[in-house]
Amino acid sequence: MSGEQTLARPEAKRWLCEMCGFIYDPEEGDPDSGIEPGTAFEDIPDDWMCPICGAEKSDFRALEPGEQIPGM
Amino acid sequence: MITGYGHFVQLADSLQWDETSIDLSTDVEAWQKLEDDEYDRILGLLAGFCVGELSVSTHLTSFQDAATVDDSMAGCFKAQARDEARHARFFDRVVEEVVGVPGDNLAERMEALRDRVSPDLLELFEERLPSIAQGVAEDHGKLTAAVGLYHMILEGVVLTAGQHALLQTIDRCSVKLPGLHKGMELVLRDERWHIGFGSRVIQSADVVDDEIEELLTQGVKAASAWGDLISSEDIEKVEHLHRRRLKSVGIKFW
Repeated sequence: MSGEQTLARPEAKRWLCEMCGFIYDPEEGDPDSGIEPGTAFEDIPDDWMCPICGAEKSDFRALEPGEQIPGM
Repeated sequence: MITGYGHFVQLADSLQWDETSIDLSTDVEAWQKLEDDEYDRILGLLAGFCVGELSVSTHLTSFQDAATVDDSMAGCFKAQARDEARHARFFDRVVEEVVGVPGDNLAERMEALRDRVSPDLLELFEERLPSIAQGVAEDHGKLTAAVGLYHMILEGVVLTAGQHALLQTIDRCSVKLPGLHKGMELVLRDERWHIGFGSRVIQSADVVDDEIEELLTQGVKAASAWGDLISSEDIEKVEHLHRRRLKSVGIKFW
């Protein structure tokens, strides 16, 4: 095996606001709230709120890899 | 990014509740013991909700009829109309059973409460919403603009501000009103998906610059529609969320 390997970057986990349907994508972050692109959901401060409905961070759930959401 | 319409229909089905199952017996006894300022604030907010919910439950049909290009979108409007009708019934139950407002139905009880509702709130729900609903009925191409008023302004700003103010007032009250608190939490939960759905409609549409500016301006103005029933701090919060929401759906205006 070659010493140089290109490791596949794991798909960043997205999170769904169960209150309003907003999806937090770590690649986009939430710059208006000071959350830089590339920030994992787990690293967002606990007082962060959903930008659409104002729900709390605890109202989000992780989307499973490949999880199908109706209508998307 | 916001989820698709199909998700909202499923979500709405999973969130159904029965307004008649909420126990208001403690609230009925507690209502008589409210301080005068608590009484005025809570009843003022309830009166505003009665006006708002009666109006939105009446005028949502034209939105559903206009969503002809997408069955899932029409299904969302239908599910939302079911929620709004339940909210109207819940608030009517509270003003009848807890407050003791006389009348045979919500419309009659509304007349007794009308003096407690600000002119700005009446204008929004009894003039602007019916007007824009009529416009959608005549021209389905006006649906996005109508959603802008209904979901972004009336629900996202006006009703949200009132819901938080009512919950906060109940929490700080000298007596407990558990039935009203429970119902209000359930209404707020429903409204969150309505706002998400409206945001999805706006996100999918080609909204032009002057419409964007109008949405922002109207939202900031509407935040004050409750008059002195809502604190300046809470008005500032809903304005901030309104701006943030518009930007999150892809509207760039600053």
